[in-house]
Amino acid sequence: MLLSETINWVNEQFKNTNELVHKNLEYENKHILLFYLKSLINSEMLQQLIIKPFFEMSSEEQFKIYLQALPQFQEVTSKEQIPLEMMNGNILVKIHNELYLLDFRLANNDKVNQTSVETTIHGSQLALSDNLMTNINVIRSNYHQASLTVEYLVKGEVNQHKVAIIYDKDKVKSDVLDTIRKRLQNVDKQLITSTTQLNNFINDKRFSLFPQMIMTERPDRIVYNLGGGKVILLVDGNPQSMATPVVFFDFMTTIEDNYHTLFISLFLKILRYAGLLLSLLLPALYVGVTSFTPEVFRTELALTVAGSRVGVPFSSFIEVLFMLFFMELLLEASIRLPKAVSATATTVGGLILGTAVTEASLASNIMVIIVSAVAISTFVIPVNEMAFSIRVVRLLLILITSIFGLAGLILSFFALIMHLVNLDSFGEPYLKLYTLAKDKKSSEGKS
Amino acid sequence: MSRYYYYLIFINMVANIIASVPSILYESHKEGSVSSMILGLVAGTIIVTIYTRFFNAFPGMTLPDLLEKTTAKWFYKPFVLFLAFMWFFAGLITLATYTFLLIRYVTPEMPVIQISLSIILSVIFGCLMRTERVLYTIELILLVTLPLILFIFYKTYSGNSLEWDFVKEAALYVNQLPDLNSFSASFFLFLGVVNLFMFNRFFTKKQSFNWKHVTIIAIISTLNMFTTYFIPIGYNGFENIDELVYPWISTSDSIRMEYFMIERVLFVFLLFYLGIAFVSIMIHWHVSIEFLKFVFNLEKLKIKGFKLGKFIPIPFFIGASLFTIVKLNEYQLLRLSSIFYNSLIFFFPSMILLFFFIKRSMKNAKQAKQN
Repeated sequence: MLLSETINWVNEQFKNTNELVHKNLEYENKHILLFYLKSLINSEMLQQLIIKPFFEMSSEEQFKIYLQALPQFQEVTSKEQIPLEMMNGNILVKIHNELYLLDFRLANNDKVNQTSVETTIHGSQLALSDNLMTNINVIRSNYHQASLTVEYLVKGEVNQHKVAIIYDKDKVKSDVLDTIRKRLQNVDKQLITSTTQLNNFINDKRFSLFPQMIMTERPDRIVYNLGGGKVILLVDGNPQSMATPVVFFDFMTTIEDNYHTLFISLFLKILRYAGLLLSLLLPALYVGVTSFTPEVFRTELALTVAGSRVGVPFSSFIEVLFMLFFMELLLEASIRLPKAVSATATTVGGLILGTAVTEASLASNIMVIIVSAVAISTFVIPVNEMAFSIRVVRLLLILITSIFGLAGLILSFFALIMHLVNLDSFGEPYLKLYTLAKDKKSSEGKS
Repeated sequence: MSRYYYYLIFINMVANIIASVPSILYESHKEGSVSSMILGLVAGTIIVTIYTRFFNAFPGMTLPDLLEKTTAKWFYKPFVLFLAFMWFFAGLITLATYTFLLIRYVTPEMPVIQISLSIILSVIFGCLMRTERVLYTIELILLVTLPLILFIFYKTYSGNSLEWDFVKEAALYVNQLPDLNSFSASFFLFLGVVNLFMFNRFFTKKQSFNWKHVTIIAIISTLNMFTTYFIPIGYNGFENIDELVYPWISTSDSIRMEYFMIERVLFVFLLFYLGIAFVSIMIHWHVSIEFLKFVFNLEKLKIKGFKLGKFIPIPFFIGASLFTIVKLNEYQLLRLSSIFYNSLIFFFPSMILLFFFIKRSMKNAKQAKQN
């Protein structure tokens, strides 16, 4: 293979950029050529590991052996590999009629972040970083098993991001792994910028309300999931990972549950499920009880509710939607706003709107209590993605209740359970009751 | 036995507390109800045992599978179609009962069609699920509803208005000769087991089934039957109990929860029994749709790769059930259920003959294979 031709071809590839550095070093009887993209290279390392030794070594032969001994050393296997690796921060070295690649990438994003989405009281406060290699390092140093396997793929036609599939070979179900591999192969998107995008790209369903993968930024959760036989997906440049397959209960557990004592975590779990039920059912229940069957409640309570609705000009359905709409606006606004402003927004929204609305009797007092209770209990759901789904389902339930009444609410709640049971996450049932005895041989099978 | 097997039996048993079974029993409360119940208990336990043993011998195989292997096509196709209608009708009875209940007690100003649609639409897509998913749904819904229903039973037994004298009086009529309607109604309580016709595909491994399991079923069904029949008598008196349209609703309305947000137990009872009804309709119609799929090969019907076939029965189910519910009134429903139950006491025992035939042919086929 003609060396000069390859070098010319590489130069041709980079002709549109002015960042390609072409360095020609010649000293005594030694001669090397260096090609690299300046912005991607750690120049300090370059100085320490290549340029300085070059001037100290006695012969070109010795320098070549030295280069091959470097941990950053990489053979060139094909012509096409060269520009790709150079764009990943490699240096192309020509020495003695041979080409080598050396990995000198400069990574400014390899600092581990503080947890920001899944904050806990107990446990590590550190999350993943934006750098894939650092993340894998973090995972490996938390999970000491020889069977931990990492596979790499390049996805995104334009931006060519690295995607890593991480799993414990001994624990993972092979058919799940095959499905994930196959679906990842079929992803043909131009740009992959986030791990959470994969949730949509590989779940095979166009319309899905519930997440089929769980997003996490906590290394301890990743390790917990790996130990449970799940597959972890990571994308370079992203501090979040996705774990799959998931069951519904995964979305209702925090990693802290394992750190508390039994009764505390049981209490917290009950609290969480109560929050889930409240945030799902409370507004719809209000509609059903006030507009359809007020006699369900005990007389005093029914009268209190009716009394607080005196002067409200809307039907309960409009009232609930009206208040929920403002609550959703507040929620959405407080995510997008800069931190300095968001406190003001919540004060204005929560306090002022809440009292003003009741004084203007556009909504009843009880409605304001319900809306704030619903908002709080939505935050209790530990995984954000599930909280988003619940917010949508809640609206559906209100809609159904306002057509079919209280019985419609109960029935649609059962139908929701049914829908969740019917869902699959990579071939695994999404919701079913698991019994504690795991080794017990089950006497029934899949039909 | 797998726990899912018990669900099939007990749902049918519990679901009928609120449906027509008690009313039918009270019609002959001064004749042979009590003795028919005892007879029904014995006959029911026997049929549960026979059916379970038969299907246990062929793990993972549904009745249509077995029929296909052992009988001729001119026999099994119409037969399975007939079974599909029967299961549809069983679901329809529960559906109609609940529609009437809801319009009577929860939303009286709502049109009947709207109420029944709310039930049908929530259930119907569940019938299309895979069998194992149907069972998982049953388990979860039971987990939500059963504690409340047990609580209500506790409240009924511990209520002050429960007069045991009435119960004793009712029990004195045990010496009367049993009659057909009461017998078939109490026999029907046990017929949850026949859902194994389709659900047996879920039990792919051989289960252990012996006298212990039979005893569990017998004890629970005795308790259930006792509660079904005697508790409303204890609350409402014996003399004119046959005049009540929904004895159990009247009973649950006699109970109060003094310190809770909801005072009248009736609403808790109704709304959570809705869960049981939901599950019961889902089981019956799931089996019915599976039979239809088998008869008409609906799985193979595709349009542009979209599996249309399994959706075909849905409009018919919705249409037929809406039509029936609009036409029926409560009295007709009661008579219709009674006729339906009466026909079942002849049908299902005679199925045992068919089972003998299937068992022999399967054995012969097995021997032929070995030789």
